[in-house]
Amino acid sequence: MGEHFFNINNLKVNIDDKEILKGVNLEVGKGETHIIMGPNGSGKSTLAYTLMGHPLYKVTNGEINLEGESLKDLSADKRAIKGMFLSFQYPEEVDGVTVEEFLRTAKTKTWGEMQRILPFKKLLKEKMEALEMDESYATRYLNLGFSGGEKKKNEILQMSILEPKIAILDETDSGLDVDAIRIVAQGVKKFKDKERSIVVITHYNKLLEYLAPDYIHILMDGKIIKTGGMELAKEIDENGYEEIRKKYLK
Amino acid sequence: MTSWKRIGLKDFEFPKIVKYNKKYLSFEEGAKKEVSLNMVTDITSLPSPKIEDNFTGVGTEFILNVKKNYNAGIDLHIPKDLKIKEPIRLDFYLDEKNNHLVDFNNIYAKENSEITIVIDYKSIDNVEGFHNGFTNIFAEKGSVVNIIKLQRLNSKTLNFDSNFSRVESEAKVNFVSIELGSKLTGFNYTSILEEEKSYSNLSSIYLGDKEMKLDLEYTMIHKGIRSQSNIETRGALLDNARKVFRGNLDFKRGSRSSKGVELENVLLLSPTSKSDSIPALLCEEDNVEGEHAVSAGQIDKSKLFYIMSRGLSEKEAKKLIVESSFKPIIDKIPFEDLRSEINIDIERRLIHG
Ligand SMILES: Nc1ncnc2c1ncn2[C@@H]1O[C@H](COP(=O)(O)OP(=O)(O)O)[C@@H](O)[C@H]1O
Ligand SMILES: [Mg+2]
Repeated sequence: MGEHFFNINNLKVNIDDKEILKGVNLEVGKGETHIIMGPNGSGKSTLAYTLMGHPLYKVTNGEINLEGESLKDLSADKRAIKGMFLSFQYPEEVDGVTVEEFLRTAKTKTWGEMQRILPFKKLLKEKMEALEMDESYATRYLNLGFSGGEKKKNEILQMSILEPKIAILDETDSGLDVDAIRIVAQGVKKFKDKERSIVVITHYNKLLEYLAPDYIHILMDGKIIKTGGMELAKEIDENGYEEIRKKYLK
Repeated sequence: MTSWKRIGLKDFEFPKIVKYNKKYLSFEEGAKKEVSLNMVTDITSLPSPKIEDNFTGVGTEFILNVKKNYNAGIDLHIPKDLKIKEPIRLDFYLDEKNNHLVDFNNIYAKENSEITIVIDYKSIDNVEGFHNGFTNIFAEKGSVVNIIKLQRLNSKTLNFDSNFSRVESEAKVNFVSIELGSKLTGFNYTSILEEEKSYSNLSSIYLGDKEMKLDLEYTMIHKGIRSQSNIETRGALLDNARKVFRGNLDFKRGSRSSKGVELENVLLLSPTSKSDSIPALLCEEDNVEGEHAVSAGQIDKSKLFYIMSRGLSEKEAKKLIVESSFKPIIDKIPFEDLRSEINIDIERRLIHG
């Protein structure tokens, strides 16, 4: 343990007084792509929020380490500065702050260097083009009135601008049409090519095909009950989670 | 002696008003030639229109105090059809030698004229100050009066401000009030929408911190048919700040088909801050529309987490939310130096306060 780039070690998490995660272990190497699958309510978002440092999710046991440093006691902003990123399942709307202003501030904070207006505009334009987003989104208020799919694309835009060391994508593909999934997958791939690590939470095989992950994990009943390759996704698809539970959960 | 129980002003006595000797007017020479702009010298001999006698502002004693003791102010008349684009600016800067300001301002916009006035009330040192003001606006048919008041007095200064406007047919008065300072503020704006299609608009923001107390009252009195009023207030309270907001929509007989909207949104950034909102709706006519919506609460936790997850600290995230709420109103100030000073002030208080 600990020699990996990113480690989660026997993580137990409570919401209020209810235990949701019951000892999650995960190791992610630099540049690796991991997929987490699991039925609704199995704790996937709980894991994602916990890794990002949501105050509602209380870690009662275990460790979260990035490059040998513990993140467990850090607030969300400090984790972002260390290189964590979460693409939200339900991104929030922030009235009165444009996408451009917000991202320039976020990049300034996470990178610790002032982002000059013109070079940043150029960078943003480039990244938006790659995601086939209309330029006008830059001057719109953050997520305000965006459709579900637009919000998800905007999350990937944020990821590609902030260039974190490790990104967790919580059902970024749900709510997207096939074209959008392809575009988002391309965005994720570009990100991956830069030796960045990704943990993708998903229900769908479409994104998997594009991403060619290194590992697939099945999260059920608050634990990762099985880790494997692409064959696991196929197994879930064919047999459903109940069969998987019977087979792998002792 | 005067007391305001609602805001905790007890046994208040007016100070003996000293002179205010500072220059407060700055305007373009061009504008000066066209309009009649004078220092107020004799309030009793002001030319028409007469000051509304029934207007009590923040309190009868305060209006009386201004009428008796005013030591600054302007009397401004804009001739018929003249539209002045260049804003007129008054800077009232209180300091040790000029720590009492009792200003009376009379603004008279004749038919189809247009004017913008910006008044900045500010302390430039740490002196215990006193401000009591009365601004009287008369907007004749078809005229437009934009008035922006900015208050950033220090935390030792008491601030009282009574404002009145009479709005004739198809005239517009847009009043912007930005309350950032003082130890205690009593603010009143009363507008009479006198005739058909009178339009009266009040936009305000306030930021209260430490032990600051704010009592804000806005009243729209609809008399004319198809008249329209709008009250939009956004505020944020930190520390032990207290605020009482009263928004009154009063539809008098004859104000058929009129509409009044009143919105207040306040962010409570500390558990010990206190906010009361008292909207009132009075109708003597059936066929009118009065709307009010008040929202008061803490910043949404999920929103805060979302912003923080992008690298902004909790304070920075809160500042972002407050600034974005204030921005549309701050952007109405036609002077860059004032806008940027306000932003710096808000930043200082939300991040380092
Ligand atoms: N904010 C919350 N308050 C109470 N219970 C919650 C909250 N968030 C999630 N849960 C519960 O935790 C469990 C896991 O939820 P979640 O992590 O959202 O699952 P998934 O993302 O895998 O669908 C569910 O039983 C859910 O009801
Ligand atoms: Mg989920």
